Amino acid sequence: MSKAPRPLFLSMSLAFGLGISLVVAAAGAATTADDPLTQRQALMDATAAAAALAGGMLKGEIPYDRTAAKSAITTFWAVSRNYGHLFPEGSDTGKTEASPNIWKDRAGFDAKLAKFTADVDKAKEVSGKDGPADLASFKGAVGPVLTNCKACHQDYRITKK
Amino acid sequence: MSRRGKVALGIAAVLLLAAAAGWLASGPRRLDAARVAAVGPGDAKAGERVFNMGGCASCHAAPGATGEARRALAGGLELKTAFGTFVVPNISPDPEDGIGKWSFADFANAVQRGVAPDGSHLYPAFPYPSYARMTLADTADLFAFLHTLPPVKGKPPASRIPFPYNVRRGIGLWKLAFLRDTPVVTLPPDASPAVLRGRYIVEGPGHCGECHTPRDAAGGLDRSQWLAGAVNPEGDGSIPNLTPDKDGLASWSAKDIAYYLEAGFTPHFDSVGGSMVEVQANMSKLPASDREAIAAYLKAIPARPNGYPPEKSKD
Repeated sequence: MSKAPRPLFLSMSLAFGLGISLVVAAAGAATTADDPLTQRQALMDATAAAAALAGGMLKGEIPYDRTAAKSAITTFWAVSRNYGHLFPEGSDTGKTEASPNIWKDRAGFDAKLAKFTADVDKAKEVSGKDGPADLASFKGAVGPVLTNCKACHQDYRITKK
Repeated sequence: MSRRGKVALGIAAVLLLAAAAGWLASGPRRLDAARVAAVGPGDAKAGERVFNMGGCASCHAAPGATGEARRALAGGLELKTAFGTFVVPNISPDPEDGIGKWSFADFANAVQRGVAPDGSHLYPAFPYPSYARMTLADTADLFAFLHTLPPVKGKPPASRIPFPYNVRRGIGLWKLAFLRDTPVVTLPPDASPAVLRGRYIVEGPGHCGECHTPRDAAGGLDRSQWLAGAVNPEGDGSIPNLTPDKDGLASWSAKDIAYYLEAGFTPHFDSVGGSMVEVQANMSKLPASDREAIAAYLKAIPARPNGYPPEKSKD
């Protein structure tokens, strides 16, 4: 927290700090884990939580905070580095919303991941050590990252519920 | 005449009568010509809003087209259904391959009654059963807007529809059973203008019910499960329940629904996916008041349990 700590942000940064540690731990375990479904679902949950924080600030429902913004961007960054490894052949069955298109069109899926990674890298640069200086620069950095969610979910996720 | 001869003649007469009745019943029913003629020329700018509401480009732009290319309505997308594979036609203003030579009456009858200019029936893969509820003024605006788009040469290949669905006359009987231009949901007399506007958009040009309502064996929408969600007509998975049920949008506020249509994120920041990505992109171009109206309507309709069976576990 750069200024007077607000309880909301204290708990939030704590939650995100924890989230990132979990993400990193999950990614480390992924190389040996035998359940890629659990691993990738954990990463998607972390991504959605980071998007909720980012979106809340963009909507003005959560006051802008540099540290919180950095936390959201860093979560995307950690996910982008590890997500692609979690869709091995044969992991298309079971309790998953992953579309068969991922394995039918692996190159297309990888291209979407590469675009996500590239957008996150740019956001990470804007973020720097202290997080984006203000809401406008955060919006410029994270806006393109958030467009990747639906771009990939359009062809590579199916809804089951 | 012998007794047997009389009976045979009687049977033949009944059969002929039944055939004649069937032929008449399955014929094209056009819009009232005087009403259509009374509609003035449309406003192209207002028509763009109708175009986005109706999601015309989602099916009629070439598959995968982005940006400016989405204004070229060349058709060609294949819709694979239980009734066959429908190939979406060219509706660009090209005089030979598109709708450039159509009169407004031709266009309005196609969009709102599923009747082609030559009198043949269009398949309801084209969502005219919803568009039937549009105002003629909106249809005129849409017609004016389509004429501002670039003409594109070339007709996509024909649809591949097996028997008996390839008998177009049969669609006439289907229309008798399912085509209604009246609202689906009856609203209280004191319903707000926003809810009424939402009903118009959702039930009419937005044609939300075409995917979000389950169909019966004849392919008609089951109105008793209006917007309760359905199996995905295009493959795996399901189309979500939009009613204010606990399985549907009960936990979403009207603001949440409007934000989803604007930005593509659920209240928990899952993102829009599948064919709804295109729809949401179109809805994001509407005035905020239209998205708020859709939300108001979805909070006002009766709650229903899911219109599709729970997923069978594959584990």
